Amino acid sequence: MSTLWAASVRHLLRHPAQLALALLGLALGVGTIIAVDIATASSGRAFELSMEAVNGAATHELRAGPGGIDESLYVRLKTSGIPVALTPVVEGYVDVGDETLQLVGIDPLVDASVRGDSRLSATDRAGAQTERTDAYAERAGTEGGRAGAEEHDGPRSADRDGIESITLWLTEPGASVMAANTAQRLGLHIDDAFTLRIGGTVRDAKLIGTLGGTSSGLDTLLLADIAQAQEWLGLFGRLTRIDVRVPEGSEGEAALRQLQQQLPPGVTLQPAERRTRQSLDMTAAFTTNLQAMSLLALLVGVFLIFSAVSFAVVQRRRVIGVLRALGATRARVLAMILVEALMLGIVGAALGLVLGTFIGRELVALVSRTINDLYFVVAVNEVVIPGLAIAKAVGAGIGVALFAAAVPAIEVANSAPSLGLRRSVIETRAVSASRWLVGVSVGLAIAAGAIVLFSSRSLLAGFVALFLLLLTVAAITPAVLRGLALAASRFLGRFSPIARLASGDIAASLSRTGVAVAALGLAIAAMIGVSIMVESFRESLRTYLAETIRADLYITAPGPGFGRPERRIEPDVLRDILALPEIAEHTESRRVIVDSSRGPIRVDALRMVPATREAIPLTVGDPDGVWEKFERGGVVVSEPLAWHLQLDVGDRLELDTAEGKRPFEVAGIYREYGNDQGSMLMNRAVYSRLWHDDAITAIGLYLRPGTDPPTAKRLVRESLRHRQSLAMTSNYEVRAISMRIFERTFVITRVLYWLTAGVAAIGLISALLAWELERSRELAILRALGLTPRGAGGMIEVQTGFMGLVAFLAAIPAGVLTAVLLITVINRRAFGWQIDFHITAQQFVNAFAVAMIAALIAGLYPAWRMARAPLASDIREE
Amino acid sequence: MRGSGGRKRGSELRKRVSALLAMIVLASLAACNGSSDTARLGTSSPQNAASDTSVTSGEPPASEAAADRAAQPARAEHADGASRSARRRRSDGAAQSSTAEVDTNRLAALRASTLPGGFELVTAPRAFEFPRDHGPHPTFRHEWWYITGHLDTPSGEPFGFELTFFRFALKPPNPAPAETGVEDGMPSAWRARQIYMAHFAVSDIDRKNFVVAERFARDALGLAGAHAEPFRVSLDDWSLGASADGKLWRLVAADKGYALDLEINPDSPFTLNGDAGFSRKSDAEGAASYYYSIPRMSAKGTLTRDGRTFDVQGTLWLDREWGSGALGADQQGWDWFALQLDDGSALMFYALRKRSGQRDAHSAGTWLSPDGKALALANDDVQVDVTAHWTSPHGSRYPARWQLRVPKLDLDVNIQPRLANQELNTSTRYWEGASLVKGTRAGQQIEGKAYVELVGY
Repeated sequence: MSTLWAASVRHLLRHPAQLALALLGLALGVGTIIAVDIATASSGRAFELSMEAVNGAATHELRAGPGGIDESLYVRLKTSGIPVALTPVVEGYVDVGDETLQLVGIDPLVDASVRGDSRLSATDRAGAQTERTDAYAERAGTEGGRAGAEEHDGPRSADRDGIESITLWLTEPGASVMAANTAQRLGLHIDDAFTLRIGGTVRDAKLIGTLGGTSSGLDTLLLADIAQAQEWLGLFGRLTRIDVRVPEGSEGEAALRQLQQQLPPGVTLQPAERRTRQSLDMTAAFTTNLQAMSLLALLVGVFLIFSAVSFAVVQRRRVIGVLRALGATRARVLAMILVEALMLGIVGAALGLVLGTFIGRELVALVSRTINDLYFVVAVNEVVIPGLAIAKAVGAGIGVALFAAAVPAIEVANSAPSLGLRRSVIETRAVSASRWLVGVSVGLAIAAGAIVLFSSRSLLAGFVALFLLLLTVAAITPAVLRGLALAASRFLGRFSPIARLASGDIAASLSRTGVAVAALGLAIAAMIGVSIMVESFRESLRTYLAETIRADLYITAPGPGFGRPERRIEPDVLRDILALPEIAEHTESRRVIVDSSRGPIRVDALRMVPATREAIPLTVGDPDGVWEKFERGGVVVSEPLAWHLQLDVGDRLELDTAEGKRPFEVAGIYREYGNDQGSMLMNRAVYSRLWHDDAITAIGLYLRPGTDPPTAKRLVRESLRHRQSLAMTSNYEVRAISMRIFERTFVITRVLYWLTAGVAAIGLISALLAWELERSRELAILRALGLTPRGAGGMIEVQTGFMGLVAFLAAIPAGVLTAVLLITVINRRAFGWQIDFHITAQQFVNAFAVAMIAALIAGLYPAWRMARAPLASDIREE
Repeated sequence: MRGSGGRKRGSELRKRVSALLAMIVLASLAACNGSSDTARLGTSSPQNAASDTSVTSGEPPASEAAADRAAQPARAEHADGASRSARRRRSDGAAQSSTAEVDTNRLAALRASTLPGGFELVTAPRAFEFPRDHGPHPTFRHEWWYITGHLDTPSGEPFGFELTFFRFALKPPNPAPAETGVEDGMPSAWRARQIYMAHFAVSDIDRKNFVVAERFARDALGLAGAHAEPFRVSLDDWSLGASADGKLWRLVAADKGYALDLEINPDSPFTLNGDAGFSRKSDAEGAASYYYSIPRMSAKGTLTRDGRTFDVQGTLWLDREWGSGALGADQQGWDWFALQLDDGSALMFYALRKRSGQRDAHSAGTWLSPDGKALALANDDVQVDVTAHWTSPHGSRYPARWQLRVPKLDLDVNIQPRLANQELNTSTRYWEGASLVKGTRAGQQIEGKAYVELVGY
């Protein structure tokens, strides 16, 4: 037995490069999965933390539509004696420096009664203590009172005492508090004045204290008194929500029923955690896609490991044969190889863990940026390493290593000792396997097609079909490779015996070359598919933007977040702008998020002009009828929304208006790429009547002939006169900005794609190395027969180049099919939008270049080695 | 509050209270600090101005207790620090008092003269006018409406209760538009320069149950506030105010399973305490308050306990006080007695306690005869001897039985709490409880009821 293990260990140690590549491939595969999980989990967790910090022990919340709750309701509830704890909240987003912070306006006099021991009040309390300790310390002077103060991580309010603090909090203009970390990042100290940008207006603020500690949930918060928050956000008389705390059990339920009875229409009572869940749900499709991409990396890794392990096995056929002849049983040989694979898997997965943690930290920034662009504001300061996800990735890595080793291991263990010694046997088998795999690939393709056909909405099924399709490519590649290599050998053989030998060799060594080319083909197919999809998307978006963005100039209240009520154009500013004689026509838009029986929905309440109607690309519904219904209160939903909520024209959707729940008829469906949750167009007149909200988020200006957008911009800016800084963008710029966000969104896709390609390239190198090693004797004989070192190197490069070409050719149809699947199945199911297919030659040229470069680079080292190898020793080895 | 409601809620409230407490306690510290560090933070309870006498012992200073409360989690080291600083302060205070002039005054909260912006100081008697003076006096730093009372159901089940509203001004009223963070913007309706705190406590004598709740709110939007005409002071759904015709008052409060809804007849003799309502607490300038009481208001209405409603009636005591000063550096706290005797008379006496354990010479009181005549009582007129003590679950050792003698009135009574534990573990911890009075007046047996308040233990 020990001989067996010694042989195993010795072998691995003697081929360190091979060992390293196998480990690297496995590590990259596992690492990518872990990295993606870390990035998504960290963003999600950061969001949850900030929600927890804000919510504290609140059990429920009262919400109303986009305009918020009338504060008189709070006063009424507070003075009605219902036995629940209530606290008002006014929220919005503000920019400080280049950071976006969530402004939370609270009433500290009642806040803790609801939030209880939340981070917020915990820090407040710690703060109070610290202040107190400071106050004592000051008096205690040398008696060391200050030492106590330093143990706290609460707010440091510059030796400020309590009443002074609450006086500042309530009466100092601009008083606000932020996390100590945040203040540090922004370079602010206590008592510093700073400015906030809110919806285009600049406000003066003063930092009166900081919240300490390491609780990262607070890092994106800016706390201020509720009065201050209302003034800053312009939400006079309105509350964003009222947080509620009731005791558990029947007493609490009774109190909730009592509370419910007091609520006017339009105000809803819901569990506090629902909002967090809804926000996180929005990102579900996004994270699923990321995870699928990471699985792709592991899939490619499977090939790599398969080729590495099977090579390690095959290399040892002779040794194994001898061992078998000496009496090692099949079971022992099998066990040896599997244990070896297990060790490889464990080490590879461990490396993957390290690598993944590292990549994950980098990826967090990308993921959170995309989430900020598309979903909600989140600052990730803490990397979460999700245990379960890691166990899953490590398990997958080890499983893959075992699986990859099992096939060759069973094969070797089962062959007769003498057969094990002969390579020709394997190649014969490889050839027949390649034929068999053609059948398998047909089966896989059919299965993929069937899955797509028989699952109508499942995203998971879509991804399964996608993976099956990619496996189809992998399965068919060896046969294609052999066919083409034989053909090339016959054809080229007429011109050069070396060329004939080179291409013939590829066919003859299918066990080596087949797997490597399959892995490369798979990566290239994925690349073609993804790039066609991205390009199609880009083109569709471009067309869409060109069609829909028609006004000459768009003026928007700037700021982060869709549907934030603080994003509005001040009424007097609006009036002055519209009074400009250069303006022919204008559209108005109010963007808000309203609640519905089916969750929050983005609503774009529009005042349209005829040109706008034509511009909105309806996909379902007759244009005349649609807009007529729209005027009367019907809504037009975007494809993503229609998809997610399974809405069709004629359906009714119930929305929570300020006057209670109202049904809205779907008049039409339009194409939209603006956001993956979809949105709804509504007549602004209807909206402002039902939601009591006259504010306007954006206007589109159609200029009179003879006025160009730059001139109009100047005129508008003059009329603004520093009252409000509004974002003014010409239609051209709107398109450019949209495209930029689009490109940013796909950065992650690209990063993951390159990781996958990296895995494939490493696989190819490892396979080639193995192959060269195997035929070193053969090549040495050729050299001895007169092949120059340069010739030998050239021959290897030609071979790898040929393999790159085959991988590319095999990947073309597969890539196109992948793109079809990505566009019509994955995108549709994940986001609901339809994309026009758009193929350019450029994508194939790129893919070809990648395939060839990967192949040629992979051949460099073996070629160099081969050219320099000492002939005699290689020949003598036998 | 702790004793009563669910534990969880109790501790939660307590936390919140500690935060607020710290603020308020610090307020006084700040005040004192400004003037020097004589500080004594009497703040403990801005509440009762009335204070009194019975010198007790060298218990730990109020500041310490308060600090301790504020500190919750870091209690140990704080208490430590606090006592160190307290000790130091004491010596400072001594030094200070020799230099005289600075500081000290008594009432709970804050020293006006040291405050930014400057509040009005109580320096001389004034003319009281009603109902105007039932309303708030926002130019002064702090103010309270303090109602205590004894109620009985028709079957004779006895209850005691306390409902108190405190007003704290953070800044003097501003005739100009309030500050906002927005240039030339309009202020939010939530802008406030005054905050209110209220305590509601019920002593359920037969069940030996004492519950207390504490609330805070800002003087904005009707969440809390006070007016003179028609008279009303309220916080959330707790209120005391004139009913529609203005003749009667109505008191409404509910929490922790008890609810009160009383109709009160305020038309009964009142006393202007001290020098015609000018109540001096120490020699420092502004260390005084305006102080009147209505010692015997009859009331009837309902008391609801755990959903069951009883008719009740009884006699209430209103204490009204406002000013801008704080306790003096050498003043530790006070014991306040409010006796309603069966012969129709009433007696108020507050014994201010010095840190040294001596009774402060500024202690004073008022006697209201059965025929409605008031007689001012000086420090020397009243003897108070403590005959028993009680240690609270929070470690404070309070006097728990008194022998009170007023030779001038030929009055000698024993005062005994109806429940031992009537400690309000609120942001400022104090004891305020329903008590029974027994003794003699001019050789005749006399009985009565009382409320006693013990601050600074």
